[in-house]
Amino acid sequence: MSDSVATESMIRLVEVTKRYPNTPADAVRPLSMEIRRGEFVVFVGPSGCGKTTMLRMINRLIEPTAGQIWIDGRDVTHTDPDELRRHIGYVIQQVGLMPHMSVARNISLVPEMLGWDKRRTAARVDELLDLVGLEPGTFRARYPKQLSGGQQQRVGVARALAADPPLMLMDEPFGAIDPIARDRLQDEFLALQERIRKTIVFVTHDIDEALKLGDRIAIFAEGSRLAQFDTPREILSRPADDFVRSFIGERAAIRLLSVVTVGEVAGRAPATDRPGEALSAQPEEPVSAVLDRMLTQNRQILEVGGKRVLAQDLLFASTGDRQDPA
Amino acid sequence: MSMVAVNQAEEPKAGSRWILPLIVVLLVAAVAGYIAGAELDSIESRALEASNIVEKTWQHVRLVLVSTAVVIALGVPLGIVLSRRWARFVRPPVLLVANAGQAVPSVGILVLLAIAVGVGFRMAVVALVAYALLPILRNTIVGLQQVDPAVIDAARGMGMSPARLLWKVELPLAVPVMLAGIRVALILNVGVATLATFTNAGGLGDLIEGGIATNRMPVLAVGCALTIALALLVDWLAGTAERALSPKGI
Amino acid sequence: MDFFSYVSQHWERISFLGMQHLQLVLIAVLCAGVVSLGLVAATERLPRVRAALLSFTGTLLTIPSFALFALLIPVFGLGVLPTILALTVYAVFPIARNTVTGLEGVDPSVIDAARGMGMSATRRLFLVRLPLAWPVILNGFRVATIMVVATAAIGAAVNGPGLGELIFRGLSRIGGANALNEALSGVVAIAVVAAVLDLIFVAIGKLTTSKGLHV
Ligand SMILES: Nc1ncnc2c1ncn2[C@@H]1O[C@H](COP(=O)(O)OP(=O)(O)O)[C@@H](O)[C@H]1O
Ligand SMILES: [Mg+2]
Repeated sequence: MSDSVATESMIRLVEVTKRYPNTPADAVRPLSMEIRRGEFVVFVGPSGCGKTTMLRMINRLIEPTAGQIWIDGRDVTHTDPDELRRHIGYVIQQVGLMPHMSVARNISLVPEMLGWDKRRTAARVDELLDLVGLEPGTFRARYPKQLSGGQQQRVGVARALAADPPLMLMDEPFGAIDPIARDRLQDEFLALQERIRKTIVFVTHDIDEALKLGDRIAIFAEGSRLAQFDTPREILSRPADDFVRSFIGERAAIRLLSVVTVGEVAGRAPATDRPGEALSAQPEEPVSAVLDRMLTQNRQILEVGGKRVLAQDLLFASTGDRQDPA
Repeated sequence: MSMVAVNQAEEPKAGSRWILPLIVVLLVAAVAGYIAGAELDSIESRALEASNIVEKTWQHVRLVLVSTAVVIALGVPLGIVLSRRWARFVRPPVLLVANAGQAVPSVGILVLLAIAVGVGFRMAVVALVAYALLPILRNTIVGLQQVDPAVIDAARGMGMSPARLLWKVELPLAVPVMLAGIRVALILNVGVATLATFTNAGGLGDLIEGGIATNRMPVLAVGCALTIALALLVDWLAGTAERALSPKGI
Repeated sequence: MDFFSYVSQHWERISFLGMQHLQLVLIAVLCAGVVSLGLVAATERLPRVRAALLSFTGTLLTIPSFALFALLIPVFGLGVLPTILALTVYAVFPIARNTVTGLEGVDPSVIDAARGMGMSATRRLFLVRLPLAWPVILNGFRVATIMVVATAAIGAAVNGPGLGELIFRGLSRIGGANALNEALSGVVAIAVVAAVLDLIFVAIGKLTTSKGLHV
C-alpha cells in the first residue's frame, strides 16, 4: 500500500513517567502512546495536568524518571540530547527569540550548529520567511522587538522548521496571541502542515484549538490520566467518560458539525425529491460551513455528489451516531 | 558614590552627550590658564610644575587601569560561576558578604592594608580591587539571571550546548548590565585612588593632601579640579563604551 | 594588646565618635531628603527639567569624595560644615531617583481608578501614589544612608567629625603599637553603625508599608 510509510510510527512512548524531586505524586503517570509519521497530535487538558512535562520529555529538556521514548525507531533516552534537539523543532508560547539577534540570525541558529554553509542557510532563511508569510526583504534584518506578537511567533515557527526536522513539538504556541490573529495563524498553520507534512505534537488547554487542528487528540485529566486518544469526531460523537464529556463542554453536537464533511453525511441521509433550488457543495466541505451558506442564502436543499438532501436530514445524519446517554 | 547604580545607563540626548567632555576640557583649560597666570610661591610652583602634575595624573590613571583590569578579570568569571545553577546555594552567602562589604569605608580597607601589610602601589591596587569587586560580581550575576528564561528554554530546545548557550545567548544578553557594573567599578576606582595618597601610592590625591597639609589652596584647587575632570572623563568614556558595546536589538 | 581589650579600654572615645558619626549621617540624609523631595515636587510638571536634574545629581555622585570634601575647604574652612554639605550632595541622587522611580512605577490603572472615583490631585498623592511608591522611596533613603555612613569616614581627612578620625589616627601612627587596633576599631564601628541603620530601615519598612504590598 502506498501509505505504508505514512502509518509508520514516529514517536513511541513506553510507560514514560515523570516524578519531580520532592513532590508527592507523579507529574506524568506511566504513559504509553504511539504517534504516526505525518500525524498532527494535540495534547489537551486542564492546566497542571502534565502536558508540558510530557512534551519536554520528548526532546529531553526534562529527563523521564522511567520509561522509554522511541523516535524514528531509536530509543532516544540514552542519546546526546543536544544532537537530538537539533533535529526536532521546538516552539513555545513565549516564543523565546534571541532579542540580540536579527530575525535571519535567529532562524540560522540550528543550520549553523549543523554545519550548513552560509549560502544554503541564507537561501533557507528566505524560503522559510516566505513559508510563514513574512516578506524576507522586510523582515530579515529586523530585531524581535520590532515585530508584533503574531509576527514573532511566525518567526518562532520558521526557526523551528529551519533544518527541516521531521518532528515538531509545540507548547501552546498561539496561547499568548489575540483571538483574531490566533485564528488566522491556526488557519495558516493548517495550510502549512498540508504542504510540509511534519509529525507534530501540539499542546494546548483550549479544546476548540485542539478540535480544529488535531488529526488525533489526547485528552488528559487531572493527574495526567489519559482519558481519551482519538480523532476529533470520535471524541465528539463518543466521549469516553464524564471527564471528556464535561471537557468538550456544551454543544458537542454543534461542534461535531464542523468536524464532519457533507460528503460522508450526505451518504447516510435520505435523498429528497422535493422541488426547489438547491445549494451545491463539495464533498470535503465541513457541514457547518455548508449549513451556514444554506441559512444565509435561504436554501432548504443541498446537492452534493449528485444527491439532493434536506437541511434537516443533513443535520440529524451529521450528529445521529453521537452516543450520549442522558 | 557607589552601590546605587546597577543599571544606570540612562540614554542621554544626543546633544547632552557632549556636555561632560566639554566640562572636562574647560576644567583642564582653566587649570592650565590659572597656573600660567597666578603668582605662586615656591612650594606652590614646585607642586604645580607640569612634570609633577603629569606624573601624579599618570599614577592615578595607572592605579585605576590596573585595578579595573584585575577586578574585571576576577569578578566576571567569578560572577559567571556563581550564576550557574549548581552554585545556587553558594550565591546568597557570597552576595551577602559582598553587600555587607559595601558598608566598610574604602579608606578603611586602604588604611588597614597599609598598616597590616604595607604601603605603596601594589597594596593600593589590592584595596581598590577589593572595593570594586562587588559591583562587577553582582552585575554579572544579575545580568545573567535577568535573561528571559523563555529565551534560554528555546535555545536549549534547539540543541545548544551549555557552552554555546553561555557564549552566544546568556553573555551577550547580560552585557549591558555587566558593562554598567564595570562603569560603576571604574568610577569607584577613580574615587578610591584619590585616597591612595594616604598610603604613599601617589595619584592626584597627593596634590589635594599636599595642599591641605601645607595650607596652599591653589595646589588643593588644582588637585580637586583635575580629579573631578578625570572622574567625569572616565564616566563619559565608560558610558560611551557601554552604549557602543551593548548588542543591538535589546 | 588584642582588639577587644583595645576597644573596651577606648570605649568612651569610640562611642562618642560613633554618636557624632550617626548625627552627621542623619543630618546629611535629612537635608538631602528635604532637597530631593523638594526637587521632585517642584518638577512634577517639568519632566525634562526633572530628567536634567537627576542626571546632574547622578554626575555629582561620580566626583571622588575626597576631592569634594577638599574643594569645600577654601569656602567653608575645615570641619563640620563642609563634611555635612558634601555628604548631603551625595545623598540627594539615590533619594531623588528612587522617589521618581517609585512614583512613576505606580500602576497607571490604579491612578486612573482613583481619578474615576473623583479624587483630587492632592488626595491621589497622599492616599494612592505616595503609599504605593513608599517602599521604593524608603529604599532610596536606605541606600543613601548606608552610602553616607561609609563616605563620612573621609570627612576626617578634612578634620570633619566622626569615626573616620580613628582610621586616620591609626594611619598617622603606622608602625606604632596600637595603630592597627585603632584603625580597625574605626572600620568596625562604621560597619556597625551601617548595620544598625540598615536594621532600623527594615523595621521602618515593615511598620510603614501597607500590608497589601507585602504579599
Ligand atoms: N520543575 C518542576 N518541579 C516540580 N514540579 C513541577 C515542575 N514543573 C511542573 N511541575 C508540576 O508538574 C505538574 C505538571 O505541570 P505541567 O507539565 O507544566 O502541566 P501543564 O503543562 O499541563 O499545565 C504540575 O502539577 C506542576 O506543578
Ligand atoms: Mg504547560
